[in-house]
Amino acid sequence: MATQTVATATTGQPEIHYLNHAKGLKSWLLTLDHKRIGLLYLVSVIFFFIVGGILALLVRAELFEPGQTLMSAETYNHIFTLHGAIMIFLFLIPAVPAVLGNFALPIMIGAKDVAFPRLNLASWYIFWLGALTMLVGIVTSGLDTGWTFYTPYSTMTSSGVTWVALGVFILGFSSILTGLNFIVTVHKMRAPGMTWSRLPLFVWGLYATSIVQILATPVLGITVLLLALERIMKVGIFDPALGGDPVLFQHFFWFYSHPAVYIMILPAFGVISELVGTFSRKGIFGYKFVALSSVAIAFLGFLVWGHHMYVAGQSATASTIFSLLTFLIGVPTGVKVLNWIASLYRGSIWLRTPLLYALAFLFVFPIGGFTGIALGTLGLDVPLHDTYFVVAHFHYVMVSGGLLAFLGGLHYWWPKMFGRLYNEKLAQIAALLIFVGFNVTFFPQFILGTQGMPRRYFDYVPEFTTLHQLSTVGSWILGLGLLLVAAYLLHSLFKGQPAPANPWGAGTLEWTHTGRIPSPHNFERTPVVTRGPYDYHLAEEIFGNGHGDERRTPTVTPAQGQAQH
Amino acid sequence: MAHATHHIIPRPLLLKVFLTLVALTIITALTGQADLGVFNFLHVPLAIGIAVIKASLVVLFFMGLKYDRPVNALAFIIGLLMVGVFLAFTLLDMLYRGDIGNLSPEPIRGPQIEQVEAPAGH
Amino acid sequence: MAGVSEAATGHAEAHAHHPPYLQHHFVSAEQQFDAAKLGMWIFLATEILLFSGMFVAYAVYRVWHPEVFQAASKLLDWRLGGLNTLVLLASSYTVALAVHYAQLGDKKRLVQNLWLTVALAGVFMVVKYFEYSEKFHHNIFPGGNYAYEGLQLPYVGQFFSIYFVMTGIHGLHVLVGMGVLTWIALRAQRGDFSSEYYTPVEISALYWHLVDIIWIFLFPLLYLIH
Repeated sequence: MATQTVATATTGQPEIHYLNHAKGLKSWLLTLDHKRIGLLYLVSVIFFFIVGGILALLVRAELFEPGQTLMSAETYNHIFTLHGAIMIFLFLIPAVPAVLGNFALPIMIGAKDVAFPRLNLASWYIFWLGALTMLVGIVTSGLDTGWTFYTPYSTMTSSGVTWVALGVFILGFSSILTGLNFIVTVHKMRAPGMTWSRLPLFVWGLYATSIVQILATPVLGITVLLLALERIMKVGIFDPALGGDPVLFQHFFWFYSHPAVYIMILPAFGVISELVGTFSRKGIFGYKFVALSSVAIAFLGFLVWGHHMYVAGQSATASTIFSLLTFLIGVPTGVKVLNWIASLYRGSIWLRTPLLYALAFLFVFPIGGFTGIALGTLGLDVPLHDTYFVVAHFHYVMVSGGLLAFLGGLHYWWPKMFGRLYNEKLAQIAALLIFVGFNVTFFPQFILGTQGMPRRYFDYVPEFTTLHQLSTVGSWILGLGLLLVAAYLLHSLFKGQPAPANPWGAGTLEWTHTGRIPSPHNFERTPVVTRGPYDYHLAEEIFGNGHGDERRTPTVTPAQGQAQH
Repeated sequence: MAHATHHIIPRPLLLKVFLTLVALTIITALTGQADLGVFNFLHVPLAIGIAVIKASLVVLFFMGLKYDRPVNALAFIIGLLMVGVFLAFTLLDMLYRGDIGNLSPEPIRGPQIEQVEAPAGH
Repeated sequence: MAGVSEAATGHAEAHAHHPPYLQHHFVSAEQQFDAAKLGMWIFLATEILLFSGMFVAYAVYRVWHPEVFQAASKLLDWRLGGLNTLVLLASSYTVALAVHYAQLGDKKRLVQNLWLTVALAGVFMVVKYFEYSEKFHHNIFPGGNYAYEGLQLPYVGQFFSIYFVMTGIHGLHVLVGMGVLTWIALRAQRGDFSSEYYTPVEISALYWHLVDIIWIFLFPLLYLIH
């Protein structure tokens, strides 16, 4: 059976797979195939990541020296707002679920496609419609409110809040449709034998994410709709000049936007679980706890939004309760991190690029998490609120969650997506550059924050210069690492060595039961699952008889490092 | 093949549910207008209680959730639960606004409008 | 093979009697039906959360200013609101009947009840139109644009903001529902549905019931404040 999947590669016959079974732009733009839709999303989010990344470099460049360096204060307001809005709404939220999730989830559960392929394609078009609507506002009049759109400034400013709000409203539909599709897919489309306790942890992560997308995103919809109506019709719900309550806006906004943090981080947790499992060859320690902690985080995430509002005029009673609940989030998150470490412990570690990203995540994410506990502490938040400490905290969480996990997952599934390997050595150098660059950029910001550097300022006192310059230099290292990634991945896309069907020896269905590149309907026949995703000792199709030369697959090329293993 | 698990709700039951809904609408409209004297505080719980009963009837019988798969009910109930969370925590803040003593419990007022006693109805 | 084996039967079996409405990625019609229905229920949960924002705003402002809500509510005509409640309840009943007849495969009565539902939805919108135009006539607009001479209180504007936004979004849902049900009725006339396959009828009906449920709450909350 395992040989069947690679038979075509050995006979030299041209394979029919999802990339080549239909050709032309139309076959891509009208595709209902979840794998192709995943790639459409891939191109889209990378585009927006580049835009957001350039804006980030501009922000850092402006902060290289005190006073005006590159741009005026007003321009700076626009630039950091756009960086935040683009990165969050157009990169972090769709990145892992819509790209990696779309590509892998149906195969991982043994389905031919998601439950609603047409909705899946529609969600991509809605994504672009929302993005373009945002763009109209941005191009015509900019956006200077910060990505949080706090009233009353957002109801007063002449920048393009209305258009951007409508764009975010539309983007919400895209996010909801993806979440809805995934939940129904996981519930109804699993292959025979794929029980809930045999779901790969990436699927669990996406499932928990989808719950959040479905329950939180509609509230963002009504929030930005009311914001737009506030500007168009003066409805006076949020605008204090009309008797409205700006703190109510923050309640509305954070009811979505705090859980949205988990939209960004939960799928990342799933990716990390896959990477840790595959590259330690040991299975995940405490599978059930890791799986259910995702769902626990999804629900607990709805009970803590008030910790963004400690100094916004929220009542002290509410703040106290929100603070206590915030600490609870640490429990399931801790369960995950400790279980990953326990999974690696005495595992048979295979240090490939995807695992490097996972290890980077395991270093970076706890720093973000612990500083989150610090910020969740009521008394401590008062001096730290709106300082660079907060900026560093959420970059440690979101960049580790969104970017490192996305890159780790991309490197992991890349051979399955395109059937080609990338240059391992360059990839490891790039991973190192990104890890170093990230920490050099953001660690100094913790210190700046404790020293009192407020966020969103384009100027600062000369005492902060060294740390700001360090941070800016870090952003260049980070950018360099990302450029390197782009370079070798592009090279791999056209000239990379052909990848075997299961280059990592992974145990999930997308590796064991599809060809080098999956066929349009994923499987020849619906698989029947008889083991868990990390039961490597039962997975004959990966390891042969479980000893000695593990790979029966004849096409495994040792060139890219299989041999060292 | 589809018949096996699909419950067909009998027409007399649908009619009974509809008539109950009409009756409840009339009750809520009448009690909503009436002066309940010392029991006036019951207006809100009564109105919401009747609305909940009506909505439950629609969900259980018209939408057939009573006979449907539990997972569908779960999806719906979790949605309602989150509305409860949203409402409860936001009201918790609103009701305790200003409890540190340094803030006004009410939001900053806009341009002051002269208070005029309104004639009821028009 | 100890690990994962493959089902030689499942796929082939599904293709053996392949009804035309069954999409290729589903194994059985039952799976397709269940998936569609779960999808709809999840969508309804998102709809409830969309409205929840307005309900929260309502609760907050009513708790803060109960007397304003009481006075402002008097400007709404509870008879028209009540009439519309009955109209929507009736439409919910007819669409439930439509599903019933679809399950029995009674095409004629299915189509009749669908058109009846659309007609009742139309009645609702007409009543709504008269209510809105009467309000606009008296300069009763949302929020800062509120300018009715007969009732000047702080925060009356907020009540009408909530009223217009809630009933506006609800009305939009009614319009969407009319469109969907018209499409379903046309398909039913064309003979797309049978007692074997009526998924679109059922999930559109679910949507329509939700529109009814929202109104069941809006009526007492907006029109009947004592």
